[in-house]
Amino acid sequence: MGDRVQHKKPSMSAEAREWLEQETDAQERRYAGIVAEQEALTPDREQWYAQFLEIVSTRGFNVTGDQRRVIPEDELPTRPDRDDAMNVVW
Amino acid sequence: MTRPHIEPYVELNEDYKAFGLPGFTGSDFKTLSLDPETGACSLKVRFNAGYSRKPGMSYSDMELFVLGGTMQLGDQVIGEGHYLFVPAGMALPAITSEDGCETLVFFNDAEPHWQESDEHHELTLKAGYVSLNTYKDAPWSGGSIVSPSVATGCMIKLLRYDPLTEAMTFLYCMTPEFMQDNISYHDCGEESYHIWGTSWMMQFGDLPTGGYFWRPPYINHGSFRSKLGCIALGRTDSKLHNYFHFNPWTNPSENLHRAASMLYRQRPQLFKWVAAHGGHNHPHGPVGQTAAVAPTDVAPTDVAPNDFEHVDYGDDPQVQMLANQVMRFLEADRSGHHHHHDD
Repeated sequence: MGDRVQHKKPSMSAEAREWLEQETDAQERRYAGIVAEQEALTPDREQWYAQFLEIVSTRGFNVTGDQRRVIPEDELPTRPDRDDAMNVVW
Repeated sequence: MTRPHIEPYVELNEDYKAFGLPGFTGSDFKTLSLDPETGACSLKVRFNAGYSRKPGMSYSDMELFVLGGTMQLGDQVIGEGHYLFVPAGMALPAITSEDGCETLVFFNDAEPHWQESDEHHELTLKAGYVSLNTYKDAPWSGGSIVSPSVATGCMIKLLRYDPLTEAMTFLYCMTPEFMQDNISYHDCGEESYHIWGTSWMMQFGDLPTGGYFWRPPYINHGSFRSKLGCIALGRTDSKLHNYFHFNPWTNPSENLHRAASMLYRQRPQLFKWVAAHGGHNHPHGPVGQTAAVAPTDVAPTDVAPNDFEHVDYGDDPQVQMLANQVMRFLEADRSGHHHHHDD
């Protein structure tokens, strides 16, 4: 493997390590907040999913670009019986 | 370790923090996302009026986008819409900001790092440097430069393209009343910051001005709407391929399997090479690989990945034919003798 500038980087300074730890903790709190916010949106999301399936089965689904295909009812997916079915943040 | 899924995050609701790391004194920051191990990160940075630093370099690739205000780099004044890609080890001239400016700053390899230097590192890849006023000096292109394509009304300006990974940095916009009725996911991590305007995705709701996401691979997003339009800065960490579908309930694992099934169908020789003998026979990649791909003792249909959308695709004759093909190269006769069909 050829050398790159990145391979020559001095090890992380104590100051930078402390900054990274603080920001990592803050990011974990931010992530938890986002998950909670998104779970609270679940009732709205259920409606959005229903509207989406209505649209793709009437006006159509964008296959690529503006090319649309109307999805027949027997191809429409149904919600699986699975705990993560309504998850959107992973 | 990589960055967690941060989506959506509206940074305008948060306060700036004073930035004390070397090279950033006199600026404030907000972390948009970061990798807890390497420190690679995406930040919003406000360089306050009177900010200045000496010439210097970083051991990380760095990108910068000016949201507002001006900054002086040596003799050059850069302002709203200016984009820089600065390869690791490339020394930038002294930087000042007389009246202050707001920017997005990305460190791609390590934590925010800077050290004083007026010389480039001997290993720096200077040819990768990009300095561009994206608003004035780059045209909008149709989003159909990738296929499968976004719908008309989503346009992009490509700012940087990495030929090794196909990672991209780009501006994109949606016209008023933009709509795209499909669900998308990609093999790449994807990131966006809304410079202005609001878009809507079926999973996450509205992403307004100041809205941000860092989305790992294979996560559903869309359908898409924008009532009044929007403009955003986007980045990917590798090739962006649009996998579209219409099942709102799939998870990243199912999406990944479906993507693998498409590789199996659409690039069968590549899939077989990677998958041969459990994928462990070529741990160092295709360095020096010149021979034909050898037949495997695994029936192709036994290794066909699941596809939630086309569960029976392995039965398709064309797929089977492709899967059973073994690439063979004819040996050229380099002896100087010429053979004829009727020999």
